Amino acid sequence: MLEPERRPVMGQKPRPRPSRRGRWVVGILAGALFAAALGSLIDDQVQAHDRFDQARTSLGVTRHETGAVSAQLTELRRNFELVTTQAGSDSTALSQDVSQLKGAQAALAADEAHVSAQSTQITSLHACLGGVERALNALSVGKQSRAITALNSVSSSCSAAASSSG
Amino acid sequence: MTIVLGAALLVAAVWTDVQERTRARHEEAALAAAGAHLASLRHDVAVTRFATAVTTGKRNALQASIAVTLSQLASTNEVLAATNVHAFLQGASIDTLQTCLGGVQNALGQISAHDTTQAAKDISSVSGPCSALDGGTSAGLVYPFDFPDPDVILVGQTYFAYATNSVAGNIQIIESTDLTHWTAVGNALPSLPTWAQAQYTWAPAVAFIGGTFVLYYAANVAGSGRECISVATASQPQGPFVDRSTAPLECQPALGGSIDPASFIDANGNLYLLWKSGGPGTSKIWSEQLSPGGTAFAAGATPTTLLVPTQEWEAGTVEAPDMVTVAGRYFLFFSGNDWETADYGVGVATCSGPLGPCNDSSPTPILSSGRGVAGPGGESVFADTTGAYWIAFHAWVPGAVGFPNSRDLYLRRLTVSGPTPVVAATG
Repeated sequence: MLEPERRPVMGQKPRPRPSRRGRWVVGILAGALFAAALGSLIDDQVQAHDRFDQARTSLGVTRHETGAVSAQLTELRRNFELVTTQAGSDSTALSQDVSQLKGAQAALAADEAHVSAQSTQITSLHACLGGVERALNALSVGKQSRAITALNSVSSSCSAAASSSG
Repeated sequence: MTIVLGAALLVAAVWTDVQERTRARHEEAALAAAGAHLASLRHDVAVTRFATAVTTGKRNALQASIAVTLSQLASTNEVLAATNVHAFLQGASIDTLQTCLGGVQNALGQISAHDTTQAAKDISSVSGPCSALDGGTSAGLVYPFDFPDPDVILVGQTYFAYATNSVAGNIQIIESTDLTHWTAVGNALPSLPTWAQAQYTWAPAVAFIGGTFVLYYAANVAGSGRECISVATASQPQGPFVDRSTAPLECQPALGGSIDPASFIDANGNLYLLWKSGGPGTSKIWSEQLSPGGTAFAAGATPTTLLVPTQEWEAGTVEAPDMVTVAGRYFLFFSGNDWETADYGVGVATCSGPLGPCNDSSPTPILSSGRGVAGPGGESVFADTTGAYWIAFHAWVPGAVGFPNSRDLYLRRLTVSGPTPVVAATG
């Protein structure tokens, strides 16, 4: 079959075709652009990867530290609870001891007052007894006036002893 | 074709880049969260440490307070216990005092009612409580009432003690079987001879001579007040002793009177009477042989001076003689200084025989004031049922020296094995 002759269609102006050189330039430019874009992307990926690696490493370190600190915190909290418990029990013990001390001090004060009163009574009784004995001795040898003097000298002591003994 | 491949490669590269960026962002976000968590934990650690430190401080303060409180409590309890013991003892002391006082008051009432026998019983019934008040038996106190110039004898298994007139009458008499517990018997000499003045009879001494108990005692002559010695007899140690004399046995008026008689029997059975004459500065101790019956001096006998004051502590007075012979040695016990002071004491001289001579070479008394004893004197020496020697003496209770305070009866062991007799430091 015969190839139709390539002739411009009547009434159409034929389009100019790029030259061969132009097509090469365009191709080279497109390739360069492509290569630049690809390079840029690869560089970006590398940087992102590096960031990822650094973050992961730091994360590992941080997680390790977190574990240690967490363990430390657990231990500290345990200690804190222990100390708090001890302080609580010590506080309770102190309250009890203070209560006992107050009781003992109150008992001591009461006893001391009792002893003081007894001492006073003993002093009075001793004085009274001495006077009565002197009166007895004086009276037994007929010295009535001396006996009366001896009794009079201890009358207040005898009265005090009698009143304190109830 | 090339373009398509390039585009595909480019798209793949973009896709991969986006994924890488996303992973990196996620990782960084996780890192930030972990960092925040770590910071939070560190904050908690700091807070917990601070809280622990604060609580530990509080706990330590509490424990210190507890230690202080426990110490105070222990101290308080100790004082409380001691105070309770003191209160208990004082309670007992008050009871004892009241018991003693009650007995003495009863005796006082009986004396006023002229019932001396009951008075003596009232007194001796509270002897134990009153002894406890005066220091108990540690110093040798055995009878805590006025019992001056005691003389103790042993008859069988019973000890009898005689003393100067007081509650029980002219001559007091008490008895004991253990030398510790004494009971009032009463008045050994209910009646006095007509020449004697009532209520001035003292310093008795009793000897068992030829089946009779012979009592020597000092008495004032009625009217003159002269101090003399008389003698009475009884068939039993409790009395009653009867003095049938019409005049004293010895007086020595020129020497200031005669008192403090004591009898002595030597190894040959010879009897002697020892006594004291005069007052401060002129006092002497005498000895004279008695007749075999003991109620008169031996025919032809004359008084011999045994002792005069030579030592500083005696202050010019020697009196209350009592002689004891041990293994051929003669010891003359005597009292020196003022009887109404705490300076009174007991000395001893060595003698060649009942009539001397005697050597008073002791610069200090063998018995003087000490714990629970003031102005001891008026002594007599006797042997107990085992043959051990004792010294009986009177003494004031410290703090109550001088008449009309009481001179109580004390007993202490006496060691006579050495060159000088030694009185035990306690009863």
